[in-house]
Amino acid sequence: MMDAIMTDGLSFAMPLLIMAIGGIYSERAGVVMLAIEGLQGFGAFVGAAAAVISGIYLGTESPLLIFIAMAAAMAGGAAFSSIHALLCVKFRAQQVISGMVVNTLAMALSPFLTSVINRAITGNESNKFQIGPSVRFTVPGLSEIPLVGGLFKSMYPFEIVIIAAALISCYVLYKTRYGLRLRACGENPHSLDAAGGDVNRTRTIAVLICGALSGLGGVFLAYSISATYSPNIYVGYGYLSIAAMIFGNWKIPPTACVCMFFGLARSAGYQLCLYLGMPGSYSDLLLTLPYALTLLLLVFFSKRNNPPRAMGETFDRSRR
Amino acid sequence: MSGSARRGGLPGASTAWTRFLEVMSGDKTSHIAIPLFSVALSMVAASLLLLALGENPLVAMAAFLRGSGFMVKPSYAGGQSALTDFLSFLGILAPMLLAALSVAAALRAGMFNIGVAGQMLAAGYVATILAGYADMAPALARPLVVLLGLSVGATMGAAVGFLKYRFNIHEVVSTIMFNYITSYVTGFLINTHYSDAITRSSRVCSRAARLTVTGIDVGGLRLTFPIGILIALAAAAIMKFVLDRTTVGFELKAVGLNRDAARYAGISVGRVTVFAMSVSGALAGLAGVTYYLGYYNNIMPKTLASLGFDAIAVALLGNLNPVGSIFSSILVTIFQKGSVYMSSTLGAPQEVASVITSVMLLFSACGACVRFHAARMLEKLAGRGGSDEGGGG
Repeated sequence: MMDAIMTDGLSFAMPLLIMAIGGIYSERAGVVMLAIEGLQGFGAFVGAAAAVISGIYLGTESPLLIFIAMAAAMAGGAAFSSIHALLCVKFRAQQVISGMVVNTLAMALSPFLTSVINRAITGNESNKFQIGPSVRFTVPGLSEIPLVGGLFKSMYPFEIVIIAAALISCYVLYKTRYGLRLRACGENPHSLDAAGGDVNRTRTIAVLICGALSGLGGVFLAYSISATYSPNIYVGYGYLSIAAMIFGNWKIPPTACVCMFFGLARSAGYQLCLYLGMPGSYSDLLLTLPYALTLLLLVFFSKRNNPPRAMGETFDRSRR
Repeated sequence: MSGSARRGGLPGASTAWTRFLEVMSGDKTSHIAIPLFSVALSMVAASLLLLALGENPLVAMAAFLRGSGFMVKPSYAGGQSALTDFLSFLGILAPMLLAALSVAAALRAGMFNIGVAGQMLAAGYVATILAGYADMAPALARPLVVLLGLSVGATMGAAVGFLKYRFNIHEVVSTIMFNYITSYVTGFLINTHYSDAITRSSRVCSRAARLTVTGIDVGGLRLTFPIGILIALAAAAIMKFVLDRTTVGFELKAVGLNRDAARYAGISVGRVTVFAMSVSGALAGLAGVTYYLGYYNNIMPKTLASLGFDAIAVALLGNLNPVGSIFSSILVTIFQKGSVYMSSTLGAPQEVASVITSVMLLFSACGACVRFHAARMLEKLAGRGGSDEGGGG
């Protein structure tokens, strides 16, 4: 049972984490990011479409497909996030509004395009893509550790990519010149401007990175939940990752802990239900656990939250 | 853009173009002109999309209007007419308008109520089990349903406001958590206690509790009138009055524009925060009862109404203004309600409707930018006109 909790918990926590890290890039650069829900869904759509289309040529069993899906999802998410970047940075739109524009646009476009593509390929108008199950692997040795060994059993290739991305992001945000500039953009963009940096460029890049990472999270969700892509991808996990980011105080390590907490609480709820032999409907009650606990924990920890100071403000050089 | 300005050499074109720019950037006119302009632009975009799908845009638009009861269909099933379609349209317009007002009320105070769908579900659920399954006379049951919707929604909203001002919990986080909790808890209770074996949703609520007046006989047609639309219009009127004419409304807008300035001016920001969120919740609760006890009459377990999220778009399209929300909700509902008929008669995918809605929202989000550029072009034009005259003299 412990193994199942760990394996399932990790596969739910990792997509949340990568989306939350995307959000951290954007919000630490001062651009409010409510668009994660739309970005992950659209990224998943592009990834799934790429997998289905290349499956025609490579065969549906090809192990390459998942990597094609990953790359396509990142490209799709980044491309779609350019709308948010354009609206917020260039067109001076309100960032909350722009985020919702991106969400509604993604939720409208992706099912529409899915049915158009399906009509072109198979002739029937389904709004689903069958993308097949993902490759999974077990790390020898590490998976034998009692209690936490389950974390290393039947892992998705995504998980390795996401952990790598998280570590690289820690380095980029805190140890590089770009990271320093990005954080300056979120706290006091005028100081960056005075130092000769380009605020709008830094912000645009941050939003595009967020789009790419959200797309990766989205396609992982599509693979791990059902091995299909359908409009059901929009169940609000993007919003949940925003909650994790805020709970994690816009920092990567605490956010990673929050995501693991969400993942483990969720899978533990399922397993507890199975263990106690309760009827399926009771699992719904246990599924509220992560959310109720989050609220409870926030009551104690939220006082010390400090969001990036310049978040939500359009950069205007003439206003100092 | 500069090409048009240069063509301004012709006197007629110049005045028309200047006039257009004036209307777009003027303080009195721009808040109406900009949304109309974005709607017009999105209609052009929608027509191009429909053309690309091989449909005649005019025929498709007519189909949307026919599906919503604004135009007469070529044929009707027995007991149906454009009037029944229109009343059904009003039935779903009511929750859409109320939910949009709910989003607007919170956003005017600077808060983003993303939990409208959860508040709707909670209000609809409580009203269904307390009034919808009880044996009561309509005169008692209907006011009770409205009252329950109001109070459940307001309580949930107030909780969000309280968590924000007392514990600094971001409203986006708490409303999302409440969405999930409400959805799972009501889903559990419906599945274990109130489930209908065939439909797998909750049992249908009693006729007496529904917010509809049934059996109106007009020319042989038996019509059902949705009471919800009256509630929604009244709510819009009251909200407009409160925002424009009262101290609370002024305080609410002040907090939304700048929390620190409002605090400095002596406004109790905490009190306004809780007040605004409970108003927003109450409106969402009303949307919930008109949706679950009026339009659908049962609740699908573990499903949040997508209307609660669409309402965010509608409120933004309506400039967060109660009157604007009426127009934007009518516009968006025409496309959503009419999409079924459009899809069944023309064969174009039903999702076209939501693409059109989101394109409308995309253009309206650029409103501030359009206004800014219109003002700047006007300045340039004025500058050039002045120098031309100078040269002539």
